[in-house]
Amino acid sequence: MPPEISGFAFPNDVHVWWSLMIVMYPYITGFVAGAFIVTSLFHLFGRTEFKPIARLAMATSFSFLLVASMPLQLHLGHPERGPLVMITPHFTSAMAGFGILYSGYLLILLLEVWFVWRPEIVLRARRSRGPKRAFYAALALGTYDIGPEALEVDHGAITLLAGIGLPAACMLHGYVGFIFGAIKANPWWSTPLMPVIFLCSAAVSGIALLMVLYQVVSKLRGGEPDQPCVSALARWLWFFLILTITLELLEIIVMAYERSESWLIISELLTTRLEFSYVTMQLIVGGLIPLILLAVVVLMNRYLHERVRNTLSTVAALLCLVQVFSMRWNIVVGGQLLSKSLRGLRAPYEPELFGREGVLMAIALLVAPFVILWIFDRVLGIDPPEKTGAASPAEPPADVPARVRSA
Amino acid sequence: MEHARHVVRVVLLVMVVLAVAFLARGFLVPRSYGMYGPYRYDNVREQMNVRRPAHAGPAACEQCHPDEATARKAGVHRNVSCEVCHGPFAAHVKEDGSVVTPTVDRSYTLCARCHRKVDGRPAGFPQVVLEEHVSGPVEGKVCLGCHNPHSPKL
Repeated sequence: MPPEISGFAFPNDVHVWWSLMIVMYPYITGFVAGAFIVTSLFHLFGRTEFKPIARLAMATSFSFLLVASMPLQLHLGHPERGPLVMITPHFTSAMAGFGILYSGYLLILLLEVWFVWRPEIVLRARRSRGPKRAFYAALALGTYDIGPEALEVDHGAITLLAGIGLPAACMLHGYVGFIFGAIKANPWWSTPLMPVIFLCSAAVSGIALLMVLYQVVSKLRGGEPDQPCVSALARWLWFFLILTITLELLEIIVMAYERSESWLIISELLTTRLEFSYVTMQLIVGGLIPLILLAVVVLMNRYLHERVRNTLSTVAALLCLVQVFSMRWNIVVGGQLLSKSLRGLRAPYEPELFGREGVLMAIALLVAPFVILWIFDRVLGIDPPEKTGAASPAEPPADVPARVRSA
Repeated sequence: MEHARHVVRVVLLVMVVLAVAFLARGFLVPRSYGMYGPYRYDNVREQMNVRRPAHAGPAACEQCHPDEATARKAGVHRNVSCEVCHGPFAAHVKEDGSVVTPTVDRSYTLCARCHRKVDGRPAGFPQVVLEEHVSGPVEGKVCLGCHNPHSPKL
């Protein structure tokens, strides 16, 4: 166990104020952006191989978005002030950006979810009686038109919203990177690469989560995951993982080559305090190993048996989730372990188990979106409409290629 | 347009939500916020009202003590406020108008605060090395034995 302080640290530099909750904040927000990228690949870019999970991806993005501000509320206390960041943003604070981007993206996603699930809402409103009917009628805003013309209008609206939603999702998560990248007093954070790295790792975490979720949901429903979809997810996961790891390494390599005054302490930070979470977990277990596993899935795709492909992809995706969590941890906590003197480090941060910012709360935060997702499934049904027998505007008509429709 | 009725409704709903948010913002942002910077300016007045000033300045003392005020103005301590030695006005005259005898600081340490020899002070300012200036122990009200504080020149 290293000493509490090594080297020379300023007295006000020995506390880790940004706790586990601030690690959870970009982690959860990353799922929102990453899952939305997947749904956009289908709705916006016509990647039809993602059709089986387009709705799951959108519902996942929505579920995680509802929880995204919770870590901040738990960290700051005073949850009654939470909505004020959206209504009365303080423009001298960088957090004003969160209020604007979060509320804007929430609005776009709510609208998109409503348009995509409108046929189901209408069908359920028609089928139900009593209070249930009133609930679905209210959700349908009192209009039950799901004829081909109305669905055509819906499809246009979904494409438009996806077109606005994708940059909004990227901005929301790029902004999280900006929050750290703009702290110029801390050399471990202050780099313009930070928003880009956050964005790429968000895509990794989102796609990885969907990969795992898709496998689990398929098993729960007693079916097998669609293999072209799994292959496509693995391909895109591999692509974003390569980007993320390259950028993360470039950041370190530039610092090391420049031999800047901060490198002395950052190299010590990475090789002592963050040795396990950075070198072992972020680079090797969460980086190198899934990189190899996904390379096998992508490059040897045609030779792989379904079960092998599913297993390799799921294991790689789980490791990617570990990689992204380690990256968030190393950024948020790592930046607080080094003193502004650039000559001292404090002992590694150990989060409490109980309490508002403890490990159990972090686990609860990770479980909460899945509970929301389950409720979402109960209320609207996540499964693609062909299984429930309803038409969907999210699905381009068979006679027109999706690529043309979404153009 | 007939098949876009639901779009019209959802757009109206969004507009209502935005309008409510803007209205709420109107109520939530204090009126004097941002008047002179990113803070609520009314807070300055509120704090001032909560904390009544303890010091009132020599003009307030002069209203009841004209003779002492005249003596002070004629002496070299004309720029030293009465409250420096006699304590704050609020401790002497209470809010209900009642008068309490003030505690006057007559100690040599108060005089030494300005007149102890310090190299950084202007050469023309009267200052002494206490141990050399006073014959006998430097303690208590030793300065007032020779000097009249209202016009201390001997």
